[in-house]
Amino acid sequence: MKAIQKYTEQELVALLKERDANAFSYLYDNYAAALNSIVRSFIQDDQLADCVLQDSFVKIWKQASTFDSVKGRLFTWMSSIVRNTAIDTLRSKDWKNSRQNVELDDRNSDMVADNTLNIDAIGLRKFVGGLKEEYKTVVEMCYFDGLSQNDIAQTTGMPLGTVKTRLRKALIELRSRIKR
Amino acid sequence: MDTREYIQSGIIESYVLGLADAQEAAELERLRTLHPEIEAAIQTFEKELEAAAFANAVPVDSHVKADLFKELELAPQEQPSIPTTLRPESKTNKTSFLKYLAAAAVLLFVVSAAMNVYIYSRYKTVQRENVQLALQRDQLFADNSKTQTKFNELDERLRLIAGPDIIKIPLAGVPGKENSQAIVFWNKSNKDVYLLASSLPKAPKGKQYQLWALMDGQPIDAGVLQDCTTVCKLKNIANAQAFAITLENEGGSPTPNLEQLFVMGKI
Repeated sequence: MKAIQKYTEQELVALLKERDANAFSYLYDNYAAALNSIVRSFIQDDQLADCVLQDSFVKIWKQASTFDSVKGRLFTWMSSIVRNTAIDTLRSKDWKNSRQNVELDDRNSDMVADNTLNIDAIGLRKFVGGLKEEYKTVVEMCYFDGLSQNDIAQTTGMPLGTVKTRLRKALIELRSRIKR
Repeated sequence: MDTREYIQSGIIESYVLGLADAQEAAELERLRTLHPEIEAAIQTFEKELEAAAFANAVPVDSHVKADLFKELELAPQEQPSIPTTLRPESKTNKTSFLKYLAAAAVLLFVVSAAMNVYIYSRYKTVQRENVQLALQRDQLFADNSKTQTKFNELDERLRLIAGPDIIKIPLAGVPGKENSQAIVFWNKSNKDVYLLASSLPKAPKGKQYQLWALMDGQPIDAGVLQDCTTVCKLKNIANAQAFAITLENEGGSPTPNLEQLFVMGKI
């Protein structure tokens, strides 16, 4: 999916910081689909997913000056923005209400509608599904629901140390599945 | 610390996925600057996640990009290579400008060199002319001073012979010497005698013309004609009734050789 490389990551970052629209266009063309896989691992609804992706790119454009290559790769930074945007969107009141309606209406129906993707087959979610239950739960809560380790300890009643250890083991397991 | 154990603890994965808490993140960010292997491990996992995302990419509807750029009020050119084409263009402009500059410099140098050669040859010519002119000037000065001397001499003599006490005695050629002429100027006051040998044949070698004053039939030596150019001053004569010139042996004679009488004139 990667187009012919025109910029190195450093050039791209430098141009984005200079608010170069062409570089931003290039960034979108090259990374939108990859980032969309992250969006889609959170959000089932097509329209909402598109909104989240668009919102994410707005943030990427507006926050480009805050990107620090010392703290990680450009893609990692963008992934983080996408994840936070997705979590924030899912948490927002409007979305929760509409989702509750959907859940009420389709409680026992097949979740996979014609115009929606099966998020279980997308991104990290795909790999999370294969984990054992105790790992799956902690990754779901932490990565997908955006709860802090402290929140999880409080919610589940598990000691913080256990949450921490379990999360780390789960992630190591997840990683080995991603690489496979 | 055991970096290997740290790397394998799951903290890297937790951090990269954004799940580490603030304390864990701060610790890792400190350690990654100290341990290259930790830094490398972080980047490895980042690349794995990136590769996985690209491998699982989900195509996006094209309206999203349009909406995005509309929302941000951005208008990227469809040909983002414009800046890259501009760059070499401006570069060529610069180089071609430098080329012109260099060409102009070379041209200027050639013209300057030619000018130098021309001006040097002109200088040499003028220098030669100047030397010649200086020589001519010196020559003219010399001629002038000679002329001046002669003029002064003539002026002096003219003053003498034009004086009120001067008697002019023309000496005419005797029969057989009709072409010969001379004029004697005699100052009655101071008895000075001047001769203008206006027309006498050139004296042969070993001979000189001698002027005689005649008083009561007696010839009195008035001196030989030296090689004077204009008016010659001769011996003073107290009294005379006539003057005559004869050709005598060099140095003059005590008595005139009448056979060699050339001109004669009475007072």
